[in-house]
Amino acid sequence: MAEAYLRLRDVTKSYDGKTNAVDGIAIDIARGEFVTLLGPSGSGKTTTLMMIAGFETPTSGAIALDGDDLTARKPYHRNIGMVFQNYALFPHMTAADNVMFPLKMRRFPRHEIRARAERMLALVGLTRFADRYPNELSGGQQQRVALARGLVFEPDVLLLDEPLGALDKNLRQQMQVEIKRIHREVGITMIYVTHDQTEAMTMSDRIAVFHNGRIEQVGSPLEVYNRPASRFVGEFMGDSNFFSGRIDPARPGWVELDAIGPVRIAATDGSPPGGEVDLMIRPERLRLEVFGADDGVRNVFLMSIEDLINYGDSVLALGTACGQPLRARVLGSEATALCRGMSVRVSWAPGDAHILPRSSPLYPA
Amino acid sequence: MERIALVLAVVVAIFLVAPLAIIVPMSFSTAISFEFPPPGYWTGYYARYLSDRSWLDATANSFIIACGSMILTLIVAVPAAFGFVRYRFRGKGAINLVMMAPLIVPHVVTALGYYGFLSLAALTGTRAGMIIAHTVLSIPVAFLVVSAALKGFDRNLERAAMNAGAGPLRTFFAVTLPVLRPGILVGALFAFLQSFNEAVVAIFIAGRDAATLPKKMFESIRLESDPVIAVVSTLLTGAILIGVLVSLLFRQKPAAAGG
Repeated sequence: MAEAYLRLRDVTKSYDGKTNAVDGIAIDIARGEFVTLLGPSGSGKTTTLMMIAGFETPTSGAIALDGDDLTARKPYHRNIGMVFQNYALFPHMTAADNVMFPLKMRRFPRHEIRARAERMLALVGLTRFADRYPNELSGGQQQRVALARGLVFEPDVLLLDEPLGALDKNLRQQMQVEIKRIHREVGITMIYVTHDQTEAMTMSDRIAVFHNGRIEQVGSPLEVYNRPASRFVGEFMGDSNFFSGRIDPARPGWVELDAIGPVRIAATDGSPPGGEVDLMIRPERLRLEVFGADDGVRNVFLMSIEDLINYGDSVLALGTACGQPLRARVLGSEATALCRGMSVRVSWAPGDAHILPRSSPLYPA
Repeated sequence: MERIALVLAVVVAIFLVAPLAIIVPMSFSTAISFEFPPPGYWTGYYARYLSDRSWLDATANSFIIACGSMILTLIVAVPAAFGFVRYRFRGKGAINLVMMAPLIVPHVVTALGYYGFLSLAALTGTRAGMIIAHTVLSIPVAFLVVSAALKGFDRNLERAAMNAGAGPLRTFFAVTLPVLRPGILVGALFAFLQSFNEAVVAIFIAGRDAATLPKKMFESIRLESDPVIAVVSTLLTGAILIGVLVSLLFRQKPAAAGG
């Protein structure tokens, strides 16, 4: 990773002096990076964002931007833009006035204010709506105005707090593309807060997964998805199967799963030798055995199907294998012969599984 | 069902408008006392109102006292609302009760209290005394209205302003106050009307020099009972009607909609 631009060092925030809403966050963010803080509500991601913006002061720890200590600086003395969850547009100002507001407050030269605001409105495609008031704009348009207002004064960092939460699905996808385009064109460092793991996957350079005020894992979307550092990350980052098991150092390349028996795993897994482990397989890595010849390397489960959920493009089969719950996702075109009550053979390659230290499940059965 | 609702609405409207239908013709009456229907029409009582010193003084007093108590009410109620809505402090419940007390205590009791209290300060029969008394009566409603507006205020707006580089003072004047303006204006209007309508406290403490229209009307109907009182009523209703129409016109502009 490139050198740190925004650096959070052991940042802790406690509101009541007893529990920590944010508990020792440490992360380095590079210039121009798109980092997502991902986590369930109450995991501390928004509080962390508020501390970067300066609306909350850390109880301990430090925040530095490009070597400057920001920790005690007032929000209006920081050069950080922010886009709020509910847009927070000033209702008594037009779109153009909203965008010009930061420039006026920051005493930009008068002739520059209008030109910059126009450029920014053009960037978000709202030139025609400059004179509208927020209540005359759609949700997506308001979000664009909020983006323009957050970017117009060329902040060092742009913070986005669940900016798409209030939009419907199609508009949300459209805005995701839009925000990524702006990120590319402006080249600004963006920190994006969301609880939507798909959004995090599709937009981020890196994802920081929050849980109980701590960062459980920081990594690229695929790293976090395929190689979760904990069961929490694995379950939060999408659909998953977890099996508890045990690694015997005497049998490298094998793991003994409870109630299932020994299965092959990739030897390259940097798992703790011995001791109790969890094995994770994403449902889409499981394959219906009819479609692939058994090469003797793949692990094979006999799955009895209890329910089928059809998504159109794919089908999620819910069932059990050796009494253990199992979820398999099959392409819609391959699932036509499946029905409830059927038993099928599903297989997975040793490299499809991920081994991690045993921990308690996020959603206990 | 809809028909019943319509009939009820019409009945209510008739009851509300009926007094006007009597008062307005009576103000143009030629009768020497209240008489309906009027025996003839002229504008003589309008002339008498406009030439009668005591009526004009009462009108001026009413406006001055209503404006004064409106301003004083805002000075107290707006900061109080901010304090109550945004901060926690000891004795909040008790102080809240004290603020609301004027709503609960009967006006006659309040009036009697003010008579004694303002006498000590030599403020009976002065506009200042009236302004103070009316302010106390207006504070609860103004406080409630501004508090409600403030509770609905999205604090992210203030965060957005600070994020844009505005310090606390500029944030307040450029964002908080304009967004709260409709609520504050409603509170101000309540305070103004409360003072303008108030008769009981006025009768107790206004005396001769600070007599307001309600007090003067009350005296007039007891001592003179001539149709000038109908003239005053008509003018007041007209003034209020114009005020409401103007505020409705403002509403239509998006700028005043306040999101």
